[in-house]
Amino acid sequence: MMSPTEEDFELELRALPGVVNVGFHYSEKGDVDAVSLVVQGPDAASIRVVAKQIVSLYFPTATISIEEMKTLAHSSSTTLISPNRVTLVRADFNSHVGSCEVHISLGGRIGVGHSKNGPLIGGAEATLDALRHLDIDVPFYLVSSINIATSRGWPVIVTLRPTFNDVDRLGIAQADTELLSSAKATLNALNRYLDRATSEA
Amino acid sequence: MTDLEIATDAVIASTATTEPWLFQAMIEELSTAELGLGFIYTVLDLLAKRYDLTDAVVVLSHDALAVQEFRLGGRAVGADLAHRIAREPGVYCEPDVVPLAEREAVRTACQLALSMRMARFTASHDALTTIANRRTFDVALANSTVRAARYGWPFTLVLIDLRGLKAINDRSGHEYGDRLLRSFGFALRVCVRQGDLVARIGGDEFAVILNNAEGNEANAFIERLRQHIVSEGETIDFTMGTASSPRDSTDPAELSRIADARLYAKRGIIHR
Repeated sequence: MMSPTEEDFELELRALPGVVNVGFHYSEKGDVDAVSLVVQGPDAASIRVVAKQIVSLYFPTATISIEEMKTLAHSSSTTLISPNRVTLVRADFNSHVGSCEVHISLGGRIGVGHSKNGPLIGGAEATLDALRHLDIDVPFYLVSSINIATSRGWPVIVTLRPTFNDVDRLGIAQADTELLSSAKATLNALNRYLDRATSEA
Repeated sequence: MTDLEIATDAVIASTATTEPWLFQAMIEELSTAELGLGFIYTVLDLLAKRYDLTDAVVVLSHDALAVQEFRLGGRAVGADLAHRIAREPGVYCEPDVVPLAEREAVRTACQLALSMRMARFTASHDALTTIANRRTFDVALANSTVRAARYGWPFTLVLIDLRGLKAINDRSGHEYGDRLLRSFGFALRVCVRQGDLVARIGGDEFAVILNNAEGNEANAFIERLRQHIVSEGETIDFTMGTASSPRDSTDPAELSRIADARLYAKRGIIHR
């Protein structure tokens, strides 16, 4: 919880014209030792002077840096790195009935896929099902999902064959469970295809 | 009920049914503090833990503050990322696994927290100088005089008038005049001790409450102020009047009148 004084400090900086973001770096003792501002607009120089004054009142030894944001760009993405990346959210296996449920996400939408073929095969099938649930065209079918013994665990290799004339796609992954490995290996196999398919969508 | 209170109730009511974890966080925050910037960081932290996020930024829009971006852990956003996401208020996550409805609920709750904190700040602070405003000063003066009367805790009230501000505005423009006012407000803040109060109570009128101060401490403050202004190379001419409590009075209005009369006496003006 921030103290009212800390909040006043941050609010004073944010209230400066054009300040979009205030970031803090803390010392080991928990004091603010560096303040970073992102400023939009042409008046960064005068903002630096006032910001320096404000920082000196609250944290006299803190350094201050200011970055200028030139123009605003449109973005409809909800991710911080790659806007259209398909991500595995969770994978659950019900051992009583042998069914798998895989959740994947694309741009904040969640797709859910199911399979009743156990964690190894079912993980891959449920992942393909979840992708289709997100209306992503996936012209591949599952050829195999196998795990192999290595000196460092049991990674899963998934082979997918396209319904069009092309080579098989292979993915490999090793996670905490067989189900997770299978789901990740499936996404891994589709990696480049999904990048293209989702960026075109 | 005010509009803000109605909006608060609406957000809490809808959050209770759609996102119980967020509702719980709001209730916990409200039990110990008022919704503010700390709540925004708390919610980002909870969201990160809930979805195993490595990063999260909420972009908010506010009438007075324009676009504001808050990043998980209070970290800096950086110009490139700030530039990429500034146009679209919302919650940006890495990895991108948070459902849209939940991101919207988080954004709305954070928006409310920012609006409420900003409303409290503007209600108690002067917009130009960001020191306390007249309302805050009146409350603080009343409290100080009560403590002086009841416990004998002394304090000194300093009233300050900037001289020639109108002429400066006419000659050099209001932008310059505003910069001068901000500089003077900053000088006052630098020169007081922790626990003292600095306020702008009129266009060119400032007030300072120096707690536990009589005579020497007040003189030391005035000297610090003059030296600071000289060292900053500013040319600000000002006049002061002081009154101490409980020595001069324990009534806030009377104390203000005494300080005001002394200020005008120094300027050679008969105050009617």
